[in-house]
Amino acid sequence: MTLAEMVISVDNLTKKYGDHTVVDGVSLEVCRGEVFAFLGPNGAGKSTTIEILECLRPLTHGSARVLGYDVEDAHSVPRIKERIGVLPQDFSALDRLTVRENLELFAKMYTKSTSIDELLSLLELSEKSKARFGDLSGGLKQRVGVAAALVNDPDLVFLDEPTTGLDPDIRRTTWNMLSSFARSGKTVFLTTHYMEEAQALAKRVGVIVKGKIVALGTPAELMEKFGGKKEMIFKGGGDGAFAALKTEFKDLSLDGSNVILPFSCTAEIQEALSVLSKWGISCEMEEKTPNMEDVFLRLTGFTIKAGGEAA
Amino acid sequence: MSRIEGIFTAVTKNALRSRVGLFFSALFPLMLLLVFGSVFGGSFAGSWAPLLIGAFVMTNGIVALPNITTEFKRRGVLKRLSATPLSKLEWIVGNVLSQTLLAVILTVTLLLAAWIVFGVKPMINPISAVVLFTGAVMFSGIGMVIAGLLRDPEAASGLGNAISFPMMFLSGTYFPLSMMPGYLQSVSRFLPLFYFQDGLKASMMTGDVSTALSDLAVIGVLAIAFLLLGSFATRWRSK
Repeated sequence: MTLAEMVISVDNLTKKYGDHTVVDGVSLEVCRGEVFAFLGPNGAGKSTTIEILECLRPLTHGSARVLGYDVEDAHSVPRIKERIGVLPQDFSALDRLTVRENLELFAKMYTKSTSIDELLSLLELSEKSKARFGDLSGGLKQRVGVAAALVNDPDLVFLDEPTTGLDPDIRRTTWNMLSSFARSGKTVFLTTHYMEEAQALAKRVGVIVKGKIVALGTPAELMEKFGGKKEMIFKGGGDGAFAALKTEFKDLSLDGSNVILPFSCTAEIQEALSVLSKWGISCEMEEKTPNMEDVFLRLTGFTIKAGGEAA
Repeated sequence: MSRIEGIFTAVTKNALRSRVGLFFSALFPLMLLLVFGSVFGGSFAGSWAPLLIGAFVMTNGIVALPNITTEFKRRGVLKRLSATPLSKLEWIVGNVLSQTLLAVILTVTLLLAAWIVFGVKPMINPISAVVLFTGAVMFSGIGMVIAGLLRDPEAASGLGNAISFPMMFLSGTYFPLSMMPGYLQSVSRFLPLFYFQDGLKASMMTGDVSTALSDLAVIGVLAIAFLLLGSFATRWRSK
């Protein structure tokens, strides 16, 4: 990665409040056109890191450069802010202004802005353009937030939990929009606690727990390294299938009436089928490939609930 | 300038679209003037109008402005705006200009009522305009100090009211200062509202230019001081 391609460069970033370390020695690089996802539960340090990169919080130790500028350099801060888009968690705007008026307000903050009509159309907000922000549902407010983040046609957009509160259809629309945004050479840095979001959107994922990055790589790399083996589920096989397969396979488990067999190659499945056939057992099969949830569970020992809390 | 204009337009629209806010900042003082002017006569209405203007420009700056600003702070609107190239100074100037416009609307409303209903013709001149502008800036500055120090809208309103109510009484808004004991009259000389109301009265009603200019000098110095303090208290970056 050349310096020109590097949009974010973070080295040993640390943020402390007194003795409490919120971000602990985070180092990462994000290059142009990349969608980078910061994945972690609530309180992991995602938002603090993103706010440091947005020049909204000072760092304690280390360094961070955004679009080639030092986030701690007062002269660079306006230059960074001019070229970034920001969607904070729980986006809010002026309640008694309409959607359009709020977007016009944000547009006026920048020297460069994109067409408000295009943005409204892109986020399916055209019909709500004259509605007051305070009268909108949570999902619609979040969409206005995404529009506000794109209003200055940014080179880099920070999205803190961008699809929280959105219904599945709009979530997918937002994902598509962000993907096309990245394809046009723009960079997206997002935080999420949705595994599927990280997997679907991100070129690379950083898993952050208690302020530390515990894994960093493409979703495929992380799943290969930390996701474990693929599993074949013999549905409804019960004790019979379990006893039969146990004669040949040691690493086997029973989940209710389903028998779960981890495997590395198809030859193992063929062997399992032949064993079951000998025992006169037939059952439905379902293959389960490792996903980001498995990666997260293996790395941290816990999963993330829908609200973002560790469980 | 575009950013200041953007903030000015947005916060002004936001304020004018609040029915409750508009009632208390413009219609309520109008009702007071009409009711008490009818009871005590046109001459009273003429001399009371500048005091009412002063008092309500103050409450708009000290109570309403910190209330809405802390509400923006609590809901993250301010943080979102601070993620744009908008500077702290531009944010403050946009708000101060908005407060000035609200002060002009209030003033025009009350002076028109005094003229049309009670036949009291005010003197509209550059000095009264400058006094009005400077007073609005001064109280917006105090409002920005309150908003900068507190996070909670309820606390901001509470503190604003705790400052503004005694100031209204001690500056002679509701009772003539001559009715008060000597030591309370001395206290009034330490209150910004006294100089603002005195300056408005001198420039709009009595035509006493030298009084208006000396009052203007006091509120001018206070306006600069409170604006600086307000700018210092407003946090544009989290800890």
